[in-house]
Amino acid sequence: MSIRNFTYLEPKTLKEALSMHAEHGTKSNILAGGTDLLIKLRHHSIQPDFIIGLNSIPKIDYIKLQDGELAIGTMAKLSAIVENTEIINHFPALAHAASVTATVQIRNMGTLIGNICNASPSADNATPLLVYDAKVVILNNVENREINLDKFFTGPGKTVLEQGEIVKEFLIPIPSKLTGSSYQKVSTRSKVDIAGVCVSALISLDKDGKITKARIALGAVAPTPIRVYKAEEILIGKIPGIEIFSEAAKIAKEESSPISDMRSSADYRKAMVEVLTLRALNESLESAKKK
Amino acid sequence: MDPKKNKNNLIGKSIPRIDAPAKVTGKALYTGDIVLPGMLHGKILRSTVAHAKILNIDISAALALPGVKDVITAKDTPCVKFGNWRLFPQTQDELPLALDKVRFIGDEIAAVAAISAEIAEEALTLIKVDYEIIPAVFNVDDSLASSAPMIHDGNPDNTSNISLDRKIDVGDIEAAFKDAYYVREDSFTVHSHSHAYMEPCASLAEVDSEGRVTLYTSTQTPYIVQCLLASTMEIPENYVRVIKPSVGGGFGGKMELRAWDFCSAFMAKRTGRPVRIVLTREDELAVGRRRHGMKIKSKVAFNKDGTIIAKDFEAYLDGGAYNSMGPTATFLCGNFGAMIYRYPVYRYRGYHVYTNLPPSGAMRGFGAPQALYVSETQMNMAAVDLNIDPIELRLKNAMVTGDKIEGVTTISSAGLVESITKVAEMTNFLEKKKNLPKNKGIGIGCYSFISGGVFNWFNTQYNFSSCEVRVYDDGTAHLLTMSADIGQGSDTVLRQILAADLGLPVEKIRLTAGDTAMTPKCDLGTWGSRVTLMNGNAILDASKKIKEQLSKMASLKFDLNVIHEVSFSDERVYAKANPKRGITFGEAVKMWVKANRGEELTARGYYTPRDKGLTTPAYSFGAQVAEVDVDPETGVITVERITTAHDCGTVINPLGVEGQLEGAIQMGIGYTLCEQFAMRDGKTLNTTFLDYKIPAAEDMPEIVSAAIDTYEPEGPFGAKEAGEGLVIPTAPAISDAVFQATGYRCKELPITPEKILRATGKI
Repeated sequence: MSIRNFTYLEPKTLKEALSMHAEHGTKSNILAGGTDLLIKLRHHSIQPDFIIGLNSIPKIDYIKLQDGELAIGTMAKLSAIVENTEIINHFPALAHAASVTATVQIRNMGTLIGNICNASPSADNATPLLVYDAKVVILNNVENREINLDKFFTGPGKTVLEQGEIVKEFLIPIPSKLTGSSYQKVSTRSKVDIAGVCVSALISLDKDGKITKARIALGAVAPTPIRVYKAEEILIGKIPGIEIFSEAAKIAKEESSPISDMRSSADYRKAMVEVLTLRALNESLESAKKK
Repeated sequence: MDPKKNKNNLIGKSIPRIDAPAKVTGKALYTGDIVLPGMLHGKILRSTVAHAKILNIDISAALALPGVKDVITAKDTPCVKFGNWRLFPQTQDELPLALDKVRFIGDEIAAVAAISAEIAEEALTLIKVDYEIIPAVFNVDDSLASSAPMIHDGNPDNTSNISLDRKIDVGDIEAAFKDAYYVREDSFTVHSHSHAYMEPCASLAEVDSEGRVTLYTSTQTPYIVQCLLASTMEIPENYVRVIKPSVGGGFGGKMELRAWDFCSAFMAKRTGRPVRIVLTREDELAVGRRRHGMKIKSKVAFNKDGTIIAKDFEAYLDGGAYNSMGPTATFLCGNFGAMIYRYPVYRYRGYHVYTNLPPSGAMRGFGAPQALYVSETQMNMAAVDLNIDPIELRLKNAMVTGDKIEGVTTISSAGLVESITKVAEMTNFLEKKKNLPKNKGIGIGCYSFISGGVFNWFNTQYNFSSCEVRVYDDGTAHLLTMSADIGQGSDTVLRQILAADLGLPVEKIRLTAGDTAMTPKCDLGTWGSRVTLMNGNAILDASKKIKEQLSKMASLKFDLNVIHEVSFSDERVYAKANPKRGITFGEAVKMWVKANRGEELTARGYYTPRDKGLTTPAYSFGAQVAEVDVDPETGVITVERITTAHDCGTVINPLGVEGQLEGAIQMGIGYTLCEQFAMRDGKTLNTTFLDYKIPAAEDMPEIVSAAIDTYEPEGPFGAKEAGEGLVIPTAPAISDAVFQATGYRCKELPITPEKILRATGKI
């Protein structure tokens, strides 16, 4: 279908963008990379009168270390995530997820924050950001707020973002030294595809080799990307190994609530949660041990 | 190598596609790129229900919308049914716009022309259609049940939803099976998939003050569209000019008159303004033509030594709501059921069944991928049961040059034995198969395909392929042909053939193609791998006539003995025995023109296969080996390597054949592993490439290939089909490899990770 006519607004600062968004309310949408927005426009699932493009705002595509955290600006492209050395070193699961998000053309246009704000249950980058305890910094006209990513998603395509709000950046704490993480994905077409199921894990060890921190996040098996707190808890204080990992993977499977749709059956997705969780935990352990 | 095969060093030379620079720089014009002055934008209203009577269509609100210039329904049109099988008018079951009934979700009901695409789209939402819903059937079994609704009840020839059948009986089937040592009997389901050509269909029509139509359309068959558009508009064929601009792929999906061709022409006539209709990817996937899904039962009898003695083959084709090219699919499925091995006794029963689904149509390989998936999988199963290796079993039964296919034809060239031997050698097949690492598999599939069709279902009065060659005193030539390059490379190969024969460089051949008013009648178009052989032969016919005339000039000028041969190469015409006695090509033309008092030197060339049976003038053959890795926990299949040995006669353009091979493997992998329509109650759910999954470049395996050196006597310079048939062996080869890796034998395509896990008890 044809895209309906709209007015394109080009703010020069995030503040200006916020006031435009406030002024036009529900008649406006924010455009960052546009890779999800344009499809919605073409399918008429949104029909805004105004598009507020963030492309002309300078210096909001940063990826930088500050105060023990990595800050990722709202216009940072997925291709920049893939290539960034800090991310490759400290957040390899995110670098991996970004590298297998859609195609090279989409990665060159699409932004990490846009991928998350689109709130697809299968978003490649959501589960790594969940295991890295990412925080979302939200701007609005009253006062800025900060929220942990695990409280950000509310349903398929839905987030806690309120009318007029814009995500300024993600803040991700640098993990402790003996930490490993992993991103695992399965999809029917293999290399270039939306995730059928995706799983991220993170494990931090103490000097004695016990697990001090564990994170497991699942994608495409619930209405939103989810953390599996129950599975994470049983790992704490344990010496890592196949038995405890298998138990965690089983819990992850039970905690998932996938649907059957044209992409996959619920049975297959559930089975994959177990397989991928185990793989993600094993790979996390391997990588933690190397450090 | 036969010297004829390397004529003037141009046959067998890799020439990059002539259209490539324009296409990769975005300069090539496709139908949707063309804008004519005053052009209107057309859109088509489609049925939202699968089966219903149309009680009323209210177009008043749409007509009243500012910017709307025309709205048509069937009642505004002559309501002439059409279909490609003109030889049998009872098979012509489609109207450009549905009159009293809709038969599938997507059936065309009305069309709008407006000053913008947006207004046309909005107008569609204002058309009100009142339906009386009729029960619908979405598969062959339901459609054949006694309680099933009749989908084409207006046709007195129809007594059930079987729109046509095809029977082949060779030998005494009962007796053959009674004496068999071993019988392999299986049921298969092969699924439907999309052509997924890169360019969605588009049409643009203008009508002049005398009512003559020019239609630009994304088609592989300009002639067929010309004739059928004329009949549906009730005007002479000569008043319709069809121009094929650049076309972004067809694969069989663009070989019919379609509703948008008619609607743009008909509304252009009514409004006096050009009308363009461009489909979207969603339209194409939701309602476009697709490959026939089939249910096939096959029973094969063997002797103890593995010799095939008989085959009993039965296919039910899911035709969807209209016949489209279904009759051909029904015929070819039967023909290919009896191909590649010698079946002394053969029975085929093929039934084309209407359902309330989008119509199936022609698609690459066309009846053969389904038939040969079954045949080749059964050969692999029989090899296990008979404890004969699959290479030996095939070699024992493989067709060879001179084999007669009962009631069809005699094979004039066959390189199947050589292909099987070669591919086994290239892959070290038997050794590898014996020592497979865990989760790895290796499998084989073979194929054959036609080089164009013989059976005149379109009932044309003209030669199947025609061309005109004009030569000039500046040493250049102009080739005019109706043939349609839709991306397969014929514009390059046809110039190459003429250049090789006239001894000119390819650049000196100007080409006009795919324009029905400017090129000789006729060419049946691009389908069935017919262009290189048939059009190539027509070109050689014309070229021979030109050379005869120019030889006279050399003969006169140099007083050649009547027994002297005149050669054409390096842009010269000369005595073969004494090359110094010659003149340039341009000088020879100049002499001829002088000698003929200013006449232009031109020649027409024609080709129609005669005395070649009912199927094709030539068969190609080949064998393919797939090597896969299967993740036992996720069921994900990685195709690691595909090795092919194929016999396509003389390879005219190796680069072109390589491209065809790679494209075929990509399509074959998609068909086998990931492409399928997700359907619910007749509705196609996966209408974007996000959910209709075609393999991406990164999913392509390592590709190794070898061409088997054969010479097809009927083909130009010995050439025959190359490319279309290559889509066939990939599915059985991968399927067998997956079996070796997992123990799962797929009888229901596609092979998905989930099916593997279910079969191996993992879920």
